[in-house]
Amino acid sequence: MIEAKDVKKIYPGIVPTVALDGVSFVIKEGEFVALTGPSGSGKSTLMHIMGFLDRPTSGVYKFNGKSIDELSDDELARIRNKKMGFVFQSFNLLPRRSVLDNVKLPLIYSGISPEMEDKLAKEALDKVGLSHRISHYPNQLSGGEQQRVAIARAIVNRPSVIFADEPTGNLDSKSGQQIMDILQNLNNQGHTIILVTHEKYTAEMAKRIIQLKDGRIIDDQIVVHRRLAKDGLIK
Amino acid sequence: MNIFYSFKTALIGLKTNKVRSFLTILGIIIGIAAVVAMMSLGAGAENLIVGQIMSMGSNNIFIEPGSFDPKKTSMMEAMMKEMEIKTLKISDAKAIKNLPEIEEAAPLVVGMDKVVYKDINKKITFLGTTPAAHVVEGTNIILGRDFTDAEVKSQARVAVLGYKITQDLFGDENPIGKTIRIKKTNFKVIGVLEERGSQTFMNLDEYIYVPITTAQKLLLGIDHIRWIIAKAKNENVVDEAVADIRLLLRDRHNIYNPQGDLTKDDFRVMSQVEATNTLSSVMEIFTLFLASIAAIALVVGGIGIMNIMLVSVTERTKEIGLRKAVGARRKDILYQFLLEALVLTFLGGVIGVILGVIGSFFGGMVFGKMLNTNWGFFISFKAIGLGLGVSTVVGLAFGIYPARKAAQLSPIEALRYE
Repeated sequence: MIEAKDVKKIYPGIVPTVALDGVSFVIKEGEFVALTGPSGSGKSTLMHIMGFLDRPTSGVYKFNGKSIDELSDDELARIRNKKMGFVFQSFNLLPRRSVLDNVKLPLIYSGISPEMEDKLAKEALDKVGLSHRISHYPNQLSGGEQQRVAIARAIVNRPSVIFADEPTGNLDSKSGQQIMDILQNLNNQGHTIILVTHEKYTAEMAKRIIQLKDGRIIDDQIVVHRRLAKDGLIK
Repeated sequence: MNIFYSFKTALIGLKTNKVRSFLTILGIIIGIAAVVAMMSLGAGAENLIVGQIMSMGSNNIFIEPGSFDPKKTSMMEAMMKEMEIKTLKISDAKAIKNLPEIEEAAPLVVGMDKVVYKDINKKITFLGTTPAAHVVEGTNIILGRDFTDAEVKSQARVAVLGYKITQDLFGDENPIGKTIRIKKTNFKVIGVLEERGSQTFMNLDEYIYVPITTAQKLLLGIDHIRWIIAKAKNENVVDEAVADIRLLLRDRHNIYNPQGDLTKDDFRVMSQVEATNTLSSVMEIFTLFLASIAAIALVVGGIGIMNIMLVSVTERTKEIGLRKAVGARRKDILYQFLLEALVLTFLGGVIGVILGVIGSFFGGMVFGKMLNTNWGFFISFKAIGLGLGVSTVVGLAFGIYPARKAAQLSPIEALRYE
């Protein structure tokens, strides 16, 4: 489903910055991959390229067999809308919209009926355990709850892949565990999950870890002793 | 993306910064209000003046000294020159009256002075005419009688008063047979005219009519006349009559002008219809001129809209990035910001139209009071349409640039923006 071949990303400047220096990998449907590495290793850049938010400078990146250069702006928007869900470190909720409206946001751009919008948004909120908060506003929620709203927004259109960029980075450990638990559940339900994190502990909740350093993959292997966020919660 | 959602988004965007939104559209409000008020007042004035002139009869023809001299540099100069032309005489009016197309022709002189009755003392305009003037103007005597041709011939000291000046001088007293004084000359009041209402810049009911010969000799000391008002027998012969009057006067004034070059004449002939059309077009140009000055406020308002929309795009860069990340297309973002600008300006347009209508209502009232006339409250629907149309166009024109800027943001740049 996801295929990268010698992907490079160089930011131009007086001294050009090499963010990705030729990475290659394949990710199949249903995987749960953690991209880790120190800051500046290129993991976020890689995620943006994988999410069609950014273009590689060279090399080939394909999602479902298509590269960004083969797709028009409208087609890219459609793929981001239907096939991908994004969760950001800083939640990125619209402050003046209710929780329900925030979750509906991707549906607004997918041309479905308002009744269907409501139904799907409520289902998504149910999955993250926030059914009781639908008419609240983001500033009335805790950080963990806000991130759960963001996850509901990411899954509302039932995307095949969820990209999560440091989703627990701004949260306390308990809320972080909750978020990871939700992501693991989503993975169990069939969503492919790409998680960017710099914490080894969090990365070990994925099934596979791709480790980056200075824009190169230095390690790529299956997690042998996988952590389950659920267990952490019980403790 | 449905239109309802877009509107909701636009309104939330505007409500977030209520004061800022209001200040932004203030320019549009003022611009539209000014355009609407100017055009409504202009249309009202035009209606009033043209209506009054036409009410005097569409068969009328004016003859006055002067010429269509293109070299005249200013209106004042032209007027001064005309004052010096003394070639128009009572006999010209008599000759014009004898033309086959003409029903009646009245010579006129005019002056301003004080009229005195007992201890009352008023500034008035007096007109020296012949009985024909009332035929031409179509006014009726309601009390007493008009002066006769014989009285004109004998320079009789008799006067016919306008309705209002009669009331001012005599109140409930019967004015007939009473003596008034103008320029140390006694006049016997013999008649009162019906109420005619005031014309835009002059109150006809304050006029005093005396025989033209009396006015020339005793009040003004001249033997030429100021103008002639003639009345054609019917509308169809007005143009012929104008042509004939020109030939007749050239002949009488010894002007050799076989080509009919109007600049060589020492007089001007204009029909009522022509005069009305000229006045109408002058009024229209004047109105347009005022409206275009007001339109400058609109452009300034539009620049304000653009400025604030650019600020809004910058402020919401992250939101734009997020929307793009969850699947908004370029045109979704474009429409969102364009609609916001449109809602802003259209709102300004609506408020501006309302204020403009209120303004022209009160403006009309004030002008009506000032000119002592019944100013018809006139809403220029053309102006309202124009106001709303222009505000929408301004919204589009000045909203498109910020909206395009928003639409073209790359999602990742926008998301990274702090």
